[in-house]
Amino acid sequence: MPVEIAKVKVGSVPESNPADPAYLKIRDLIYKVSGIYYSAEKLYLLAARCARRMTVLNLATPAEYLERLLLRTSDAEQRLLLNEITIGETYMFRHPAQLDALREVILPQILQVKGSTALRRLRFWCAGCSTGEEPHTLAMFLLEQRDKLLTGWTFDILATDLNDNSLEMARTGVYGEYALRNTSHVLRRKYFKDVGEKKLQANELLKSQIRFDRINLSDDSKMLFQKGIDVIFCCNVLIYFDLVSKRRVVQHFYANLMPGGYLFMGHAESLFQVNETFRLIHFPGTTAYLKPAVSQAAGGAK
Amino acid sequence: MNDKIQSQLHDRIANLDSLPTAPTILTPLLEILRLPSEKIPFEKVIELVSLDGAIAAQCLRMANSPLFGSRYIETARSAIMALGLERVCSLLFSLCVNRSMPRDKWVIDPITFWRHSLGCAVVTQNMAKAVNYPEPEKAYLAGLLHDLGMLVNCILYTDDFRECLRQAAEQHLPIHILEEQILGFTHCDSGQILCAHWGFPKDLIDAARCHHDVALLPTAGPLACLVHLSDLLCRVRYLGYGYDEILALDLGSDVAWQTLFSSYPAFKSMDLARFTLDIEGAMDQIVATVDSIFGNKVVENKKAAAATT
Repeated sequence: MPVEIAKVKVGSVPESNPADPAYLKIRDLIYKVSGIYYSAEKLYLLAARCARRMTVLNLATPAEYLERLLLRTSDAEQRLLLNEITIGETYMFRHPAQLDALREVILPQILQVKGSTALRRLRFWCAGCSTGEEPHTLAMFLLEQRDKLLTGWTFDILATDLNDNSLEMARTGVYGEYALRNTSHVLRRKYFKDVGEKKLQANELLKSQIRFDRINLSDDSKMLFQKGIDVIFCCNVLIYFDLVSKRRVVQHFYANLMPGGYLFMGHAESLFQVNETFRLIHFPGTTAYLKPAVSQAAGGAK
Repeated sequence: MNDKIQSQLHDRIANLDSLPTAPTILTPLLEILRLPSEKIPFEKVIELVSLDGAIAAQCLRMANSPLFGSRYIETARSAIMALGLERVCSLLFSLCVNRSMPRDKWVIDPITFWRHSLGCAVVTQNMAKAVNYPEPEKAYLAGLLHDLGMLVNCILYTDDFRECLRQAAEQHLPIHILEEQILGFTHCDSGQILCAHWGFPKDLIDAARCHHDVALLPTAGPLACLVHLSDLLCRVRYLGYGYDEILALDLGSDVAWQTLFSSYPAFKSMDLARFTLDIEGAMDQIVATVDSIFGNKVVENKKAAAATT
């Protein structure tokens, strides 16, 4: 039959109708293994990610792909799909709502608590910083607040990753148009220099705000060493961890944070059933996890 | 709210029924809305829908909107079949209320108001389903009408309410705080009086009355608690009052959450992070639905924009 022939023709587009019930099962599987969730309305995004893998594997339907994901030896394929899911996730100012929450609520809260102590210093940690877009964004944001919210305060940003190549790129700080798509011209001029070929490099002022280091989040001895952090960013990193390791890392984060400190995860990433000690806080357009201060533990929403 | 303000509000709300713009179907519709769901008369609702061409058209648009399935529906009868009797009554009700508002009295932007109200209706219903609350359609109606008091304030206290909104936006504060300061009462008070005047069931009145008052929630019943949480969730997901509020919500510690937690065991296993992402997903459709029903202009502009891209 011609229709059948068309279906198996090399290079044909695989079936990616998001209404296919197989995608609901793939969605639930991905949520279970990674914590990343696609609502019904966003299933088309998942379908598009799957379609790329299905093309590579030469599979025609999502049901076949689901079967592949469920094989006993499917860890590698699940990881490849997660890679597809996070492609294009990293660019600067990817989550302005997180920065709004920092500026409007989180920093004022922390400054108030810490204001009574002599050491006026804030500590941030980007855990799993990949090629450095997130810590550079944070550094720009904090530098812009130096004469406003942060008058009289200093801050340091620790940015860590497991991958040496990523860290090297992050340290070099050279970015193209995609990474800078959400960065205003004012900020580009202030914190970057032109290095040709349509690329910009972070200037010394920006670079000097960030300390890069190689840390394996599963390395308990190194994790125990991090103390007194105010805010941790760990976006789309734990999705690759199994539940046991994920629980251990998040428990470390809890210990690393000051009381009243916050943990930001990826936008569609959930800690449901991973950790019960953090409190899920809703901000306009984003959520974060709070390590309650003793006096806050019994507080409620307004 | 002191006694003098309360009796003044009562009198003025009682006179609202004589608004020249109120559609004739409002009175029979209110009678239907007082009935328990199993007693709603099908033929009577069809009659009400068909009575007014503009309203019938809006019903069809709702039935054909992506929020409620995108089948192509052409008649009032099939729209009711698709949406369900209760949903159609809720829709008729909001259309009537919308029509009753004199144009120059809309202090709050009507699109903003209906996006928040419909958003709250959908979220309250979804939350009701998630925790096995027995009447999810009633939860929908409770969400839809929880802020009716704002429209009362628009009509009866136009200039003062405009000032409330202006200052609330300027200070990024919840509207009820400014209402308390400027009017001496809130949209919860005026909404409660209107809902009672229209003869709504007690739990719907309580949802309007208590949704901002954490002191009242533990005794206000599950519907008020569901509406309270949904209202907050809508406001942190860009379906609020049309201005930026500074909010940080620990919903799990909220008194409404705690109250529901004790009577609905399903709350204990609710995945709030996932629920929030589901709401975010539905947000575009809520916006599109409201725009197609209440804001012809907006839709035409969007269509024009889509056509040029």
